[in-house]
Amino acid sequence: MPKIFIDNTSYEVKAGKNVLEACLTLGFDLPYFCWHPAMGSVGACRQCAVKVYKDENDTSGKIIMSCMEGVRDGMHLSIDDKAAKAFREQVIEWLMTNHPHDCPVCDEGGSCHLQDMTVMTGHDYRRYDYKKRTYVNQYLGPFIHHEMNRCIQCYRCVRFYKDYAGGKDLNVFAAHNHVYFGREKDGTLESPFSGNLAEVCPTGVFTDKTLRQHYTRKWDLTSAPSVCQHCSVGCNTIAGERYGGLRNIVNRYNAEVNGYFLCDRGRFGYEFVNSENRITKPQVMHQAVDENALMHHLETVLTNHSLIGIGSPRASMESNFALLDLVGKENFFCGVYNEEMMLERRITDILDSGKIPVASLKQIEDADAVVILGEDIWNTAPMMALAVRQSVMKTGGREATEKTPMPEWHELAVKELQQNTKGFMVNVTVTETSLDEIASLNINAAPDDIARLGFAIANHIHPSLELKNFEEAVLAKAKTIADELLKCSNPVIITGTSCYNDPVLRAAFDIAAALKAAGKAPAIAFVVPECNSMGLAMMRGHAFDTAVRRVNREPNVTAVILEQDLYRNLPAGIVDEFLSKCRNIIVLDSLNNATTEKAHVLIPASTFAEGDGTLISYEGRAQRYYQVYVPDNKYIRESWKWLSRMKMIISGKANGHDPHHDSVISSLETALRQFAGISAAAPSSGFSIHGEQIPREPHRYSGRTAMLANRNVSEPKPVADGDSPLSFTMEGYQGTPPSSAIPFFWKPGWNSPQAVNKYQQEIGGDLIGGNPGVRLFVKSSGNMPEFFKDYPEHFRERQNKWLLLPQSHVFGSDELSVYSAGIAGRSPEPYMGLSPVDAKMLDVTEGSQVTIKSEKEEYSFPVKIVESLRNGIVLVSKGLPGTQGMSWGNWVELAK
Amino acid sequence: MGKKLLIDRVGIEGIRYFDTYRKHGGYASVEKAFKMAPADIVEEIKKSGLRGRGGAGFPTGMKWSFLAKPEGVPRYLVCNADESEPGTFKDRYLMEFIPHLLIEGLVVSSFALGSNRTFIYIRGEYAWIVDILEQAIEEARQNGFLGNNILNSGFDCEIYVQRGAGAYICGEETALLESLEGKRGNPRIKPPFPAVKGLWDSPTVVNNVETLAAVVPIINMGGDAYSQIGIGKSTGTKLISACGNINRPGVYEIDMTISVEEFVYSDEYCGGIPNGKKLKACIPGGSSVPILPANLLFKTAKGEKRMMTYESLADGGFQTGSMMGSGGFIVLDEDQCVVRHTLTLARFYRHESCGQCSPCREGTGWMEKILNNIEYGRGKMNDIDLLWDIQRRIEGNTICPLGDAAAWPVAAAIRHFRDEFEWHVLNPEESQKRNYGLANYAEPREVVAS
Ligand SMILES: Cc1cc2nc3c(=O)[nH]c(=O)nc-3n(C[C@H](O)[C@H](O)[C@H](O)COP(=O)(O)O)c2cc1C
Ligand code: SF4
Ligand code: SF4
Ligand code: SF4
Ligand code: FES
Repeated sequence: MPKIFIDNTSYEVKAGKNVLEACLTLGFDLPYFCWHPAMGSVGACRQCAVKVYKDENDTSGKIIMSCMEGVRDGMHLSIDDKAAKAFREQVIEWLMTNHPHDCPVCDEGGSCHLQDMTVMTGHDYRRYDYKKRTYVNQYLGPFIHHEMNRCIQCYRCVRFYKDYAGGKDLNVFAAHNHVYFGREKDGTLESPFSGNLAEVCPTGVFTDKTLRQHYTRKWDLTSAPSVCQHCSVGCNTIAGERYGGLRNIVNRYNAEVNGYFLCDRGRFGYEFVNSENRITKPQVMHQAVDENALMHHLETVLTNHSLIGIGSPRASMESNFALLDLVGKENFFCGVYNEEMMLERRITDILDSGKIPVASLKQIEDADAVVILGEDIWNTAPMMALAVRQSVMKTGGREATEKTPMPEWHELAVKELQQNTKGFMVNVTVTETSLDEIASLNINAAPDDIARLGFAIANHIHPSLELKNFEEAVLAKAKTIADELLKCSNPVIITGTSCYNDPVLRAAFDIAAALKAAGKAPAIAFVVPECNSMGLAMMRGHAFDTAVRRVNREPNVTAVILEQDLYRNLPAGIVDEFLSKCRNIIVLDSLNNATTEKAHVLIPASTFAEGDGTLISYEGRAQRYYQVYVPDNKYIRESWKWLSRMKMIISGKANGHDPHHDSVISSLETALRQFAGISAAAPSSGFSIHGEQIPREPHRYSGRTAMLANRNVSEPKPVADGDSPLSFTMEGYQGTPPSSAIPFFWKPGWNSPQAVNKYQQEIGGDLIGGNPGVRLFVKSSGNMPEFFKDYPEHFRERQNKWLLLPQSHVFGSDELSVYSAGIAGRSPEPYMGLSPVDAKMLDVTEGSQVTIKSEKEEYSFPVKIVESLRNGIVLVSKGLPGTQGMSWGNWVELAK
Repeated sequence: MGKKLLIDRVGIEGIRYFDTYRKHGGYASVEKAFKMAPADIVEEIKKSGLRGRGGAGFPTGMKWSFLAKPEGVPRYLVCNADESEPGTFKDRYLMEFIPHLLIEGLVVSSFALGSNRTFIYIRGEYAWIVDILEQAIEEARQNGFLGNNILNSGFDCEIYVQRGAGAYICGEETALLESLEGKRGNPRIKPPFPAVKGLWDSPTVVNNVETLAAVVPIINMGGDAYSQIGIGKSTGTKLISACGNINRPGVYEIDMTISVEEFVYSDEYCGGIPNGKKLKACIPGGSSVPILPANLLFKTAKGEKRMMTYESLADGGFQTGSMMGSGGFIVLDEDQCVVRHTLTLARFYRHESCGQCSPCREGTGWMEKILNNIEYGRGKMNDIDLLWDIQRRIEGNTICPLGDAAAWPVAAAIRHFRDEFEWHVLNPEESQKRNYGLANYAEPREVVAS
């Protein structure tokens, strides 16, 4: 470890870092703008200046940009040097010459890196007394507000948007002191990662437009650590509330998961919480009832009937377990389409075996090669796609700097050396995807052929079977890919359920297993559809088909359906059959949908914002989200609380009290072994530091004595939170909380999200106390063959039948986020994709309506001709509003 | 009369065309060079002592020898014809009147460096010169001096002319390369240096037009003979574009042995100041270099005669000296206002800043505004100190030298003509009406400490 001297005190620092990173890691407050821990240095803003000395005898020294200089053993530096300080102050003065200084009306105020850095440098007096330059702002769509006058030209926005995230429609225009950051013309920012601009931009140029519509300053928010509900990646978020409404979602750093960023679905999808469509009162037979009446009614339907429960892939572990606990293991079914459930079984079997480790997003970023088999992750797991992009770019950078050494943080120089050098990434999908442009090789094929290619790759890496009936071209491609993979050391294989094809999953495993046999350190990632699909699959409930058979067999069944719209997850025919045969239907959910309409008893469930819960991500990572606020509606409660009540009713132990979160979690751990350790995902409710809880409100929270004075002039007593170590107040422990219980990032002098620096063990590294979440797939249990080897037959087109596969959309395919106006606006019109040959054969053109016929349903969609699609496949938009669950992975008929 | 090696033939009727140029000894250096080993050509250039004519004066032979030569990677020669520095118009003269000299120099240099595709990046406003160069390139190709297998040597070379879009910053070599690659012309951070990773990730040499033209006489006469011309490390001849208050503005080729005084007053060159006016100041090397008051122009602070050489012009550092720069020699007579002049330059640099780094982007705009106020009688005394402060903080703290180039003229103007700034502040009404005729221009002044 190099030793450096800062203002004559010696420190040990990590080699390979730049001076700025080293100083920040040591806890010094050194201002910066253009450097970003995830994007490196470009030396543009000149804010991070320090003095460097030749040796201890040099007294004059030289001003350098700390972000542009690597640490060297024996380096002598000064942060406090007068000239360096004066220069840093000068830089702020320069930036301030044109900055409008409109903090009071700026959305960034109170969470602004420019404010923080200005105060840090001490600049407080304006010597510039001329007019400031002004710009015209642009309309950038529903997510991002633009206020260009505030720009300090740090270039972070374009570096993130274009270089880091691969966006194309944001750029820097013009020159000199009139450079402009925006689009070529007004219009919606196309990238699904645009929301990060609000956090990456250190000023109020790019801000969250959804927050703006119900604006609250950061210091006035009641916030809690949360977990994104909109896909299986499980990004860590912070959700903020005021006046009983959710106001925004911002990033919660987790070095192993989402790092500094979120996708737009995760960031802007929160508004479903405030939706008009919320279920606010219990209903019995579509009539609103009060709690007594509800309990009374529940008693009859619960006690005189046989109970079955339908678990949900988007409800928490606690709620799913409470349901299982209520109905009993043998009566617990998964609200998941059969074909999907089989795949998820396969996935959990593979992961349970512990043969191949699961890849976290961080591991994907650091992978030196990526193979994607059959999953359009750009649309099904957006942040994973961003991680893949980083792998491709970083690997390219490493390759390029092998010959001309250049530290990784030196962004521009690495880019210059790198040019178009990219890491190895193969994208094998059913049709073209947004990741194609950075792939070394794109292959579009039918699921069975994707699997065959996968098996062939595995076999090339580690010959273990005889490949019969393989075309030369496939074998050649497989060989190319295998040869490349053999040059790597830590490749990642990504696949998922979207192909509705088991062989694809097995092939992915075989590639990873072959790589392992070849001495590599592979990891694997299986994308599943929903935020807790993995958790539900791990519970190993029965298939929905069995539930249907059961109600067909048994006349007197009460079904308790947990937080899901069965009509989205399953083909309507099956759901209709099921619901029509149930004697009683109890549904717990937060939003009205086709299933809640069929409920005999409807119970309002909390969303993630009003309740506590644990989700299990694709990684098998259990992560806790904490209740953000207490809704002004006593009926809105976590499903697990309602379900526990129901259990007490059955057992005759109802006492009017809800169980505490800790007890639900510990029962889960005891009842289902596979979840042992889940309680470690976050500190328990009893946790306190020096007897203090962790406040959800910053110490500057304003108006608490006044905000409810319209109802009662005395300030209400804060609600006690029996479920978590967080309090609904501003008092409490003011230090750094445990990493999984950070309600907001704030440290003295650091009001912006960049305060996260102070919560990390090292800049850009793990959080103090480790990264949140526990990975449950760590033990090596289950049996698993060494290789599956059982490759399928070629995909063959069928006479007048098409294989039905889903096309997911970042915006639209997720059920809940679509209740946010911005997301709904970005959701495309549903369509049906056909290959040009098939379209011709059916004699249809772009836009013609075509009807899909499966066993029980018929749906019609306008046709889109998809060049990259194989013949014999029909691709239909999945999950868009107004569409329903379909027989994915099955053969359907098409009619004009 | 000094030696002329570059523009001696400019007077010849039709020299712009290949046949005439060839008749007058043109392309002889190609014939000679192609019999030499490329490394020997580089050696000759080293021996000649030729220094880059683009402004920085870096030894060309040394630059060429730094060029990395990895296997299987192309190498590029790029001719910097962006010439946008106010006061500098020598490259234009050369390209316009004797274009084949540049093409000849480029063929030899491309051969020496192994560049099969060579680019001339030319200032956008020089549109008509593009036609001249393209015509010359076509002629050279038809006569076997460009294209495949030049002079049966097995060496292939094509020259492409690329027009810039009118940004001064694209003359800075790394911004030029970005622009040539089709990107926004922002300077790159070095390292990596162009000699290792330049154009399209390949080793690249960027040289000024005049530098590359000078290769021709060096090959023809030999490096040693070339190095005999001039004084010390200022070898060979240099084009000076002279303008301002002089009787004979124009482009002159000097061998670097004459004094500044001779250059200003000799009828062979500037021919003195018109209308019997007195000389007030001079910017000897293009707008970026420090202005010198008359008293420091002809004599150094040590009292030695100041010569038209790299070393002598820089004698005394920035306190009492200046720079050869790109050879844009701007003369100000006693009627000229240094404040107005500085404002003009500040406006230029503000406008030409690429906008990448804060000191230059914001500092130049601020300096322009302050100077504007002072010039128009709205200035305050402490504006002068503020101006000093701003330029001082820009200098040395930017990504590329444009920041320095913007700071130096302001610094030198205050350093040598502070009283003139003060006069503007103290006489606002007169400043608004007229800006000329400040007396005592040539008194030795106290040097403002930096
Ligand atoms: C702002 C700026 C503008 C420049 N403009 C030019 C130019 O127009 N022409 C030129 O030859 N060099 C220019 N230079 C210098 C080049 O960066 C480079 O040093 C030169 O082309 C090298 O050629 P030489 O070694 O032959 O002088 C400029 C430098 C800076 C910083
Ligand atoms: S818009 Fe924001 S991120 Fe972009 S350059 Fe301006 S201040 Fe920086
Ligand atoms: S939708 Fe998925 S990728 Fe996007 S923020 Fe949420 S968890 Fe992350
Ligand atoms: S000094 Fe000026 S021109 Fe050079 S990089 Fe910085 S802003 Fe651009
Ligand atoms: S943070 Fe170092 S120059 Fe911008």
